[in-house]
Amino acid sequence: MKGLMKYFDVDRFREIYQTLVRNRSRTILTGFGVFWGIFMLLFMMGGGQGVKDMIQVELQGFATNSGFIVPMETSVPYMGFKSGRTWTATLDDIEHLRSNIPEIATVTGNLSVWGGTATYEEKTSSCQGRGVSPDYVNIEQPVLKYGRYINAVDMAQERKVCVIGKRVYNDLFEDGEDPCGKFIQMQGTYFQVVGVDFSSGNVSINGSADESVTIPMTVLQRLYNRGKTIDLICIVAKPGCKIKDILAKATPILAKEHYFSPDDPKALYNVNLEELFSIMDNLFKGVSLLIWVVGFGTLLAAAIGVSNIMMVTVKERTTEIGIRRAIGATPSMILSQIMLESVILTIVSGMMGILLAVGSLSIAENVASASAGVPIGFQLSFGTAVLGLIILMVLGLLAGLAPAIRAMDIKPVDAMREE
Amino acid sequence: MLIQLEDINKTYDNGQPLHVLKGVNLSIEEGEFVSIMGASGSGKSTLLNILGILDTYDSGNYYLGGTLIKDLSETQAADYRNRMIGFIFQSYNLIGFKTAVENVELPLFYQGVPRRRRHEMAMDYLDKLGLKDWAGHYPNEMSGGQKQRVAIARALITKPKIILADEPTGALDSKTSVDIMNLLSTLNREEKMTIIVVTHESGVANVTNKIVHIRDGVIGEIEQNIRHDSSPFGADGIMK
Repeated sequence: MKGLMKYFDVDRFREIYQTLVRNRSRTILTGFGVFWGIFMLLFMMGGGQGVKDMIQVELQGFATNSGFIVPMETSVPYMGFKSGRTWTATLDDIEHLRSNIPEIATVTGNLSVWGGTATYEEKTSSCQGRGVSPDYVNIEQPVLKYGRYINAVDMAQERKVCVIGKRVYNDLFEDGEDPCGKFIQMQGTYFQVVGVDFSSGNVSINGSADESVTIPMTVLQRLYNRGKTIDLICIVAKPGCKIKDILAKATPILAKEHYFSPDDPKALYNVNLEELFSIMDNLFKGVSLLIWVVGFGTLLAAAIGVSNIMMVTVKERTTEIGIRRAIGATPSMILSQIMLESVILTIVSGMMGILLAVGSLSIAENVASASAGVPIGFQLSFGTAVLGLIILMVLGLLAGLAPAIRAMDIKPVDAMREE
Repeated sequence: MLIQLEDINKTYDNGQPLHVLKGVNLSIEEGEFVSIMGASGSGKSTLLNILGILDTYDSGNYYLGGTLIKDLSETQAADYRNRMIGFIFQSYNLIGFKTAVENVELPLFYQGVPRRRRHEMAMDYLDKLGLKDWAGHYPNEMSGGQKQRVAIARALITKPKIILADEPTGALDSKTSVDIMNLLSTLNREEKMTIIVVTHESGVANVTNKIVHIRDGVIGEIEQNIRHDSSPFGADGIMK
C-alpha cells in the first residue's frame, strides 16, 4: 500500500505538470478534443432533456392514455340512409360505451360554444364556453389556483357556475384577486365563478383550458338547446388496456345506435393520444440514443487523439525514459507516469467541458423557464456529471494504456544508443 | 571483492548470431579506479551494460557486492541500479527540461526521498562539484564540462557502490577532459569511490590505477598503472 501511495504524491503531479506544460500548444490542442467531446455529449443530453421538458409542459395535466371520438359525415349509404349524413353523439352513447366496454376507466363528453365573450364589470375577454361533467378531470387535470371544479351537484341542479381559465382570469381580474363568488357574464347569462384553472397545458381538445369558461354540461345543453348531445366523446383506458382496442370496440356500438356502417371509414374521427404520445416517446428515445452515439463518438475520437499524441510523446521521449530507467525508475513507475499524464490531460480538459456544459445549460434553462413561465429542466443531474467524469477517467486510462506499455518497453540501453 | 565476473558470455542475435563476450573473467576490489580499454567492437560497451545491469548475459555469474546479479526482474534491476550504481555517460544524458538540481535529485525521487530532503542533498553535491550557482540552470545553458559534472553529482547522490563511466570525456575538449578525469581521480582517492571507466583513449585510461584491456570479447592484459605512465603521450596528457 505504501508503495502504491508513492505514485500519488505531489512530486508525481509536478512531474506530470512539467511534461504537459513543456509542450503547451500540443497539450491544449489535444485537450480541446476531449473538452469539446464531453461538452457536446453533456450539452446535447441536457438540451434533449430540456426540449422534452418543454413539450411535457405543453401536455401537462393531460391523460396520455386517452382517446377521443368525433362524429363526422357518413361516406357510405347504410340501412336505407344516403351517404353524407351527419350524426351527433349523445349522453346515451356514453352510457352505452361505459356499460359495454370494460377496459374503459372514464368515458365522458365535452361540448363547446365558440366565439364567446366573458365580461366582468368593464373588462372583457374573448373565450369559449365549455360544458363538461365532473369526471372530465380524468381527461384534463385542472390546476386550481382558486376554488373548486364543477361538481355533481352543479350538474344535478343545473347551477350557473363556472371555472375560468388562466387567460380569462388575467383579462377580467387583478392578479392575486380571488374571483370566487363573483359573477361574470357570458353571452347574456351570468355565471358565478367557483374556480380558476391555471393549468398551462397546451393540448387543445375542443379549445384549450387557458381560454375556457367551463360550466356544467347540463347547463350548457339547456342554455343552448343542445338537448342531450355532446361534441365529442372522451375516453381514458384502464391501466394496461390499449386505447386502440377500445376505439375498435366503440365503433360498432356507435354505428348500431346511429345507423351508420361500422366499416365506414369517415363516419367518425378517432384521436388516439396514447399512440401519439408513444410516437413522441419513441422519438425522444431515438433522439437521446442519437445524442449518445454522436456525443460518445466525438469523445471516443478525442480519446483516440489523446492516445495518438501520447504515442508520439513517448517516441520523442525515448531517451528521457531510458535515462529515467537507467537511474532507477521501475517499469511500473514509467507506466503509471504515462497513464497518469493521459488521465490528467483527459480529466482536466474534460472538467472544463463539463463546466462549460453546465454553464450553457444553466443559461438555456433560465431563458426557457422565463419564456415558458414554469421551470424547465435543462440542467444535468449531479449523477450525470459524475458519470461524465467516470467516462473521462476510463477513456483517459484506455488512451494511456498503449503509449504506457510502449514506454514501459523502453530499455535503459536505448538512452545510450541514441547517438 | 566488490565485482566478480565469472565466465560471462553474451551473444546478440539480430538475424546473425554475434558472440560479443566470450567468457569474461574479471574481479574488481572496492576502492579501485579501473579503466576498461578496447577498440570499438571489442565488447567493452556490452561489458559495461552488463556491469551496470542495463543488459543481461547468457551464461556465467556476475556478483555485485556479494549479490548474484542474474535473472532479475525489471523492477529488481531498476532497484539495484538505483542503489548500487551511478552512471556517467558520454552524452551526459541529463533531462533537458529539468534544471541541474532537479536532474541531480531524480535518482532520489525514485527512491521516494521527500522533496525537501533530496533538494538539500542535491544542492550539497552541486556545491561539492562547484556548481552551486548553476543549480537553477537548464542543461542547454551549461558547457559540456558543467553538464558532465552535473551528471557526476547525479551519479554520486545515491552513494552507490560503483561509478560506471562510459567514455566520460568523449564529448569534451582536452582541457575539460583532464578536469573531469582529475575529478574522478579525486573522488576515488578521497571518497574511496570505486570507479570503472570505459574508454578507447589511452590518455584517459592512463589516469586510472589499473587498465583492463579487452579484445574481441575476451580480457587481455591487465596493467597495474599506479605510476600513470602507460600512455604513450606521457603523464597528464590526454590526446584528442
